Amino acid sequence: MANNNLLTFSSSPHVKSPKTTRQIMIHVCIALLPALIMGVIYFGLNALLLTVVSVLSAVLSEGVYLLATGKSVREIINQFDFTSCVTGLLIALSIGVQCPVYIPALASVFAIIVVKMIFGGTGKNLVNPAVTGRVFAFMSFTSIMASGWIAPSINALFSGGSYDPVSGATVLTQMLSSNALPSLSNWDLLLGTGVAGCIGETCKVALIVGGIYLAVMGIINILYPAIYIATAGLFAVVLNNFQFTYFLPSILSGGLMLGAIFMATDYTTTPNTTLGNVIYFIVLGLVTTGLRIATGIEVVSFAILLMNLFVPLIDKFVINTPFGFVKPKNRGCK
Amino acid sequence: MIKKGKNYPYGIHVKDMKELCADSAIEKMPAPKKVYISMLQHIGAPAIPIVKVGDKVKKRQLIGEASGVISANVFSSVCGTVVAIEDIVTASGLKMKHVVVENDGTDEEVLFDNIADFEPKTIIERIRLAGIVGLGGAGFPTAVKLSPSTQLDTLIINGAECEPYLNCDYRLMIENTDDIYRGVKYAARALNIKRIIIGIEANKPKAIEAFANYPDIEVCVLKKQYPMGSEKHLIYCTTGRKVPCGKMPFDVGCCVQNIKTVIAIKHAIEDNKALSSTVLTISGGGIKTPKNLRIQIGTPLDDIIEYCGGVSDDTVKIVAGGPMMGKIMIGTNSYTRKTNSGYLFLTEKETSLDKPSNCINCAMCAKNCPMRLMPMYIEAFALNGEFDKAEKYGAMNCIECGSCAYNCPAKRSLVQSISMAKNKIKEMKKNGK
Repeated sequence: MANNNLLTFSSSPHVKSPKTTRQIMIHVCIALLPALIMGVIYFGLNALLLTVVSVLSAVLSEGVYLLATGKSVREIINQFDFTSCVTGLLIALSIGVQCPVYIPALASVFAIIVVKMIFGGTGKNLVNPAVTGRVFAFMSFTSIMASGWIAPSINALFSGGSYDPVSGATVLTQMLSSNALPSLSNWDLLLGTGVAGCIGETCKVALIVGGIYLAVMGIINILYPAIYIATAGLFAVVLNNFQFTYFLPSILSGGLMLGAIFMATDYTTTPNTTLGNVIYFIVLGLVTTGLRIATGIEVVSFAILLMNLFVPLIDKFVINTPFGFVKPKNRGCK
Repeated sequence: MIKKGKNYPYGIHVKDMKELCADSAIEKMPAPKKVYISMLQHIGAPAIPIVKVGDKVKKRQLIGEASGVISANVFSSVCGTVVAIEDIVTASGLKMKHVVVENDGTDEEVLFDNIADFEPKTIIERIRLAGIVGLGGAGFPTAVKLSPSTQLDTLIINGAECEPYLNCDYRLMIENTDDIYRGVKYAARALNIKRIIIGIEANKPKAIEAFANYPDIEVCVLKKQYPMGSEKHLIYCTTGRKVPCGKMPFDVGCCVQNIKTVIAIKHAIEDNKALSSTVLTISGGGIKTPKNLRIQIGTPLDDIIEYCGGVSDDTVKIVAGGPMMGKIMIGTNSYTRKTNSGYLFLTEKETSLDKPSNCINCAMCAKNCPMRLMPMYIEAFALNGEFDKAEKYGAMNCIECGSCAYNCPAKRSLVQSISMAKNKIKEMKKNGK
């Protein structure tokens, strides 16, 4: 310290918690790994290929966008915060393995450039990039994405990519269209054995493990996804004439777990207060189940996208009451 | 009498770092060759120097006279000659008149006469004469604080010391317990209060033990949580009363006093001594031997550094006060003031030099704000120049404790923006009137 010029001038506080945005996003990536690993085990190396393409296109499109806005390569690398990694991973995990590689690539580029970067980058997006990217892909390639589901098999990883069982629809769409309980047991649904579906949505145990990891690391409040899932399940029970047997199948099928734990809990697109979050997740649960039954297709991503738009409204009306707040006295006429 | 404090759910847990010098007893640092005594060591109007260059002054002789009700007397801390009265820009960036006294080493001192009686009026007058101000940091004249317009019922002594690193109050609580007790009794007498509570954080068992033996003091054990030492939260946790927004502790019948202040009261009344020294914690990874020191007011920081064995080369920040609310120093031309509680020399490993990035709306700031504000909105409005909206979101209630910025993963300078908003709002109100 011989030289006073080496001293830093800054505002208090002078100590800060070690938590950084980058660290949080790395934790989210780690939490998604079990789901990815199970996806690869169930659906083969093709699932891994789709994921790699998706993550790479997300990261690269962010880099290219920043380059185009005049940032230097060094700056971009220094400021890289892994949010685009999370987006890419989520997009890959929420598509089926039957999709050709250009679908996750396009979805990721759309998510990063149109949804995130144009609005100002990390934290400035109005809606969740991954969810919107998935919806974009779904709307653009509905025929590929909503049909030709491949049922997982434990041998997929070793059979070199030749998939035998091709089922037409997922458990959820079957359940919704036939209005009857699925033929698979709840255990199968939980573990994902024999359940056709998206890469990361099949094995619910892996998603729950990831969710618990995030909760333990203090990144998400486990209460919020629990509220979402419980509301969605209970509303399904209500809409099915209070048959409680519908509770587990409706929360264990489709993309509800992935959406609830990883997509709906995105910081940027959730309210900023506890009460706001409770309202948000309850309504989200109701909207999800309501739309599921009304449309007969999987709508978790649509529901999240829709509710994202209400977040600023919730935040406008639900704010914390300051400590010692006294309601201002009504001064008669004003 | 020991009881447990009320729980307050909002606040943060900061790494303590008190172990650096929690066990080192308070040392008396020898008076330096020259002291630089600031005329503004309190809130309010600066004191007016009443000595001239060349005057001989004794220790504890009045050199700066209070210039109004909200002001305080300033005393020489050494015996010697006034060599200069000049404006000095200190390392905190403030320009203020300083009286420079050269120490002749004789240590001759002047004392007040014995106090005539222990009537509240006499006690308050002595406190005013002795230049005692709130030594916790704010520096509000204690005599004014002890003469409220309404009758209060509870005197609370702030022994929370929730700031990391700092140990001066803790050391005083275990070394000078009796002085504190006597000082508290005088303060209580001045206020005509029976109920005395001392709030101490649970991480200071020795201090809790020390006060447990006094029958007429309630020891309130507080949860270790930052910012427990904030006046409003201390009152809530010890008495359960909430100070309404924009109101003061006396509105709920409480008066909060700092540990060092009550010791100064004791010295002024029993030992007839004016306030001329204070206890500081010198700590941080950058200082060779962290210490708790009794330092004469006006001692240059350079002398303190030398006494503590020097500063290592990897020091990146010098902070006056605690790391959460302390003020940054841009150099070492700082002189001990009444209200100082310590100097910290932080290395890069301890402090955060990360550049701020985009807010990711994680709401960690709102979740932890002890005042239950929405720091992210206040910051956004402040940076956007929309100060009226910042005020609507409660900017003026901010106590600038730094809990929001501590937790921010994007490392945003929330406190800086909010404090800027507060200043602008005050300015707007002043101009509006």
